[in-house]
Amino acid sequence: MTDDRAFLKGNEALAYGALRTGLNAYFAYPITPSSEIPETLAAEFDRRSYPAFRTFLQAASELEAISMVIGAAATGAKAMTATSGPGFSLKQEGLSYAAGMELPMLIVDVNRAGPGLGNLGPEQSDYFQATRGGGHGGYPTIVLAPASVPEMAAFPALGFDLAFEYRTPVTVLADAFLGQLKEDLVLPDVAAPVYAPEWAATGARGATRHVLSSLHLELADQSRHSHHLREKRDRIAAREPRAEEFETDDAEVVFVAYGICARLARRAIRLLRARSVRAGLFRPITLAPFPADRLRRLVAAGRSKLLVVELNAGQMVDDVRLAAAGGADVRSVGEMGGLLPGSGDLVRAAEAMLR
Amino acid sequence: MTLERPSGPDRFRVVVDAERCKGCELCVVVCPPRNLRLTRAFNRGGYHPVEFSFHGERGDCTGCGLCYWVCPDFAIAEVGARRP
Amino acid sequence: MSAAAEVYVPKLGALTALTGTPTHYCAGCEHGTLTRLIAKAIDELEIRERTVMVSSVGCSVLAHEYLNVDAVQAPHGRAPAVMAGIKRVRPDLLTFAVQGDGDAASIGLLELLYAANRGEPITVFLVNNAIYGMTGGQMAPTTPIGMVTTTSPSGRDATSTGPPIDATRLVAGFERPAYVKRVFLPIAPTPIPRVYNARGALEGAASVRHAFEVQERGGFAFVEFVSTCSVNWKLGILDAKRYAADVLRPLFPPGVYRDRFGVEGR
Repeated sequence: MTDDRAFLKGNEALAYGALRTGLNAYFAYPITPSSEIPETLAAEFDRRSYPAFRTFLQAASELEAISMVIGAAATGAKAMTATSGPGFSLKQEGLSYAAGMELPMLIVDVNRAGPGLGNLGPEQSDYFQATRGGGHGGYPTIVLAPASVPEMAAFPALGFDLAFEYRTPVTVLADAFLGQLKEDLVLPDVAAPVYAPEWAATGARGATRHVLSSLHLELADQSRHSHHLREKRDRIAAREPRAEEFETDDAEVVFVAYGICARLARRAIRLLRARSVRAGLFRPITLAPFPADRLRRLVAAGRSKLLVVELNAGQMVDDVRLAAAGGADVRSVGEMGGLLPGSGDLVRAAEAMLR
Repeated sequence: MTLERPSGPDRFRVVVDAERCKGCELCVVVCPPRNLRLTRAFNRGGYHPVEFSFHGERGDCTGCGLCYWVCPDFAIAEVGARRP
Repeated sequence: MSAAAEVYVPKLGALTALTGTPTHYCAGCEHGTLTRLIAKAIDELEIRERTVMVSSVGCSVLAHEYLNVDAVQAPHGRAPAVMAGIKRVRPDLLTFAVQGDGDAASIGLLELLYAANRGEPITVFLVNNAIYGMTGGQMAPTTPIGMVTTTSPSGRDATSTGPPIDATRLVAGFERPAYVKRVFLPIAPTPIPRVYNARGALEGAASVRHAFEVQERGGFAFVEFVSTCSVNWKLGILDAKRYAADVLRPLFPPGVYRDRFGVEGR
């Protein structure tokens, strides 16, 4: 597909967004509800419609797929994979190594209900795993949360830009709803920024070697490396938080929600305003780094009732409470198991906060 | 590398980097003329390094290079042939 | 040295593909021997500047400290997958890994066998010393029945753990691999006391070269090096060589298991 206007599922849109940002390699392992991503890419790979897209390969496991991403990324290629909950757990091994070696790559988690196999419906229960870094050891995380099909198409470009700028894996955390939702969109421009990073392992040139390893047996070496990763995390936290606000200026209650829940909140806001309740929305676009400063400013400006909407038992609400630092009444509402909260649930919860 | 046939005494020699040697003896027991032997000295690693002699228990060094190939520590630094 | 150096011309000497860093390997370990065989082949084939080694996990985890080439670290067992990722985007590069028996035949068996089945143009060197060396002597997939290890203190018992895994035969069971070979790498005892032969190292040198040549021609190359681990076997260095010859060589028979391009004997 080369037309710019399209009507696509979120997963398909994400695949085209990746292709249009110059994706070089995709390593696949199927899992519902993310499989349209590899299916779309496999079809385009066979058509050879994107010259930069050199490799599509279905691996034998999630572990093999993420390790292939490591190999491709080590040569400086734009490489990615996508998965859902159970597969995301398996990706954590590779993500830890990649973060330790400082390799850029893009991972998509189309969050389904869990734990264990759960079901194929939407949840946001991988929030902690994605934002804290579900692999072993400490490392920086960047997690992007699209809330629409156009954003599913746009975020691969943003993700790769951040991944290469900071030399670290970037996760796009979507959910089953966004992956399967179909919307109109204008696809992003075909851009193929050529990355030729000097750190890439593509052969020693004379005395210059490129050794990408996460092994630092000398304690002082590991300490230096860990401090470097911490400094990177702090730099990312200072420069890259992104959030969107909707009708917060006069809000007496502010929903805090990302992804599909942000859209549910917008609907509730319309209903509440029709009932003369001034409601607004604070929507984190980066879940890591969490836009804490911006939320803190909102609280300082008098928005002291925050209602967190999540498809889990309450995960992001911890980050909201940390950001509010006791300056706001923070409550949580949500659903699990693949169900979404109804507008009425959100309206009632918001009104209860004002009583 | 092709060489003209070396001639004269001590036609071949082995250069041992004694500081790298871990005294494992692999070169000692594969050397057909027994030109290598463990010394009683210690190197910095605390090992008894091997030393080379042109004339072994069973003859002179033939430059066969077996010591070079088996040495796990690159301590057999060089096998050389005398210029004709 | 200078006067002597002028008198003697090196037949065998320093290698560009070695960094010169002293190894951490125990005295008499075949890991060190193999390191030089690899360096020698890289020098001879003049491939150093387009070679990317993949560091596995185990005693070979630090091999990139000794081999003067680019390197990428793989998660434990995943080296063949990392190599596949490299080759799929950069077929112009050469890539290889030195894996241990735990890495390749236990935690990474899937990655090894799937790379073999796809016929990835990569080179795998397996150092099979029948034990987990780096972690201190635990039972490995290749541990012979009866061998005492720290996790099989009464000797490996097949009724509980199954018999040893033969990685070479498994790899050779697939259609696509182009070169599959097993070399007995240790020096081997002869009928004469304290006289050992070095056939394994010489054969190993040729096999390493062949394995790179096969990759250059687009084939999957796998060479298993039956090796020793005297420290964890709790044997003297030369006793370990004899044990390897007596027990491991019959269990893991050396030989050419696949040679699609006919690189042997050329």
